[in-house]
Amino acid sequence: MPDFAAPIARLVDELKRLPGIGQKTAQRLAFHILRVSREDALSLAEAIREAKENIRECSVCNNITDADPCLYCTNPARSQKTICVIEDAHNILSVEKTRQYNGVYHILGGALSPLSGIGPEQLKIKSLIERLKGGTVEEIIVATSPTTEGEATAVYISRLIKPLGVRVTRIAMGIPVGSDLEYADEVTMSKAMEGRREI
Amino acid sequence: MPVRESEAIILRTYPLGDADRLVSMLTRSFGRIKGVVKGARKPKSAFGGLLEPLTYLRVWFYENETRELVRFNQAELIESFLDVQQDYAAGIGLALLAEVSEAVLPERESSDSAFRLLLLAARTIKQTRDPAFPVAYFCLWTVKLAGWLPDLTACVKCGRSAANEAMYAAAAYPGLACARCKRPGMQLMPGQSLSAARRMLSERLDRLAAEPAPVSPGREFQEYLLDMIEHNGERKLHTRRLLEAHA
Repeated sequence: MPDFAAPIARLVDELKRLPGIGQKTAQRLAFHILRVSREDALSLAEAIREAKENIRECSVCNNITDADPCLYCTNPARSQKTICVIEDAHNILSVEKTRQYNGVYHILGGALSPLSGIGPEQLKIKSLIERLKGGTVEEIIVATSPTTEGEATAVYISRLIKPLGVRVTRIAMGIPVGSDLEYADEVTMSKAMEGRREI
Repeated sequence: MPVRESEAIILRTYPLGDADRLVSMLTRSFGRIKGVVKGARKPKSAFGGLLEPLTYLRVWFYENETRELVRFNQAELIESFLDVQQDYAAGIGLALLAEVSEAVLPERESSDSAFRLLLLAARTIKQTRDPAFPVAYFCLWTVKLAGWLPDLTACVKCGRSAANEAMYAAAAYPGLACARCKRPGMQLMPGQSLSAARRMLSERLDRLAAEPAPVSPGREFQEYLLDMIEHNGERKLHTRRLLEAHA
């Protein structure tokens, strides 16, 4: 690395640790931070500090929140009868954007991934089972990614939950709306055929 | 830049940037290669479900001599292993095959036998849904193809026959040793395990797996093989811990 002053070199090194940020981007960001006003730079630092200090996991659903339980768990307008199980907190946004789901969430904190050494113990599956013991939950929607890991997680969860008498459903897989069948790959197409429904 | 074509098995993928994937795959003609699939994580990507681990496919890619990563252009499915990985135990077995292949096989060295072994082991797990025997067979042959498997018929020091008796072995020492020649740290390998291993070296996996009671090299020998893979591959296998926890 070129000989930067020690504080700049440290800033570049810290920025480089962020996902998707390489040496050049880190340098660009560091020099941008140096160019902006002192207030703006400190405001960024303060925002990072505040987020780290005030954001925690919801004790019910594991969502990241500044109030425990989170706003989804405490919202009286949301149904407690349905739990949508997702891998990560940011997946909530994808479901919420549809404006069709009015239940609550449970965040697993990942998916079963033997190649990454992630087994059932590393996921928040036990707390999901605990939530079902109250008897109010009627349906679990497993909305993990349509990947090998997501599918394995969905099947693993359904095997645990079905004996408890709770309905377990899986989000549909298949052709994206607006795409052309000509370009659909064989795996996606076969999943779409498997999951066809009567109209 | 000519387009290259080969049969391939996906070993592992990593998210790259906003919507791309870095893919590691074992090709039949060019060995283990890594490359980028642009936009692979977008819902409308033409690669869609083709990049899931262990998918057997035909790929077309460009290679630039000045770059380490190839650029994948097109793929066509030959066989998918997506459904079998819904079973957690089978999924761990398949993941171990992929992880061992990544750890052991050097980049860009084609090995048709390693390719056929991986495919055969994956297909056997798909068929039987029980990973124990295919994984043992795969590990034994991987160690053999890599040139790390010792002579299973005699003590490396005194030449005493291992035909019907237990021997001792450790990943860090070359060869098997008899009770008199064993060194500290060596583990017991029962005679039954060694004869099962010798049989596995002379028969095809699908034939052995079809037998009513397939031969088993036993836990000690399986651990010895995994120790050897970790020792020579110079890395710990994530899937080994999960496989042992699930067993």
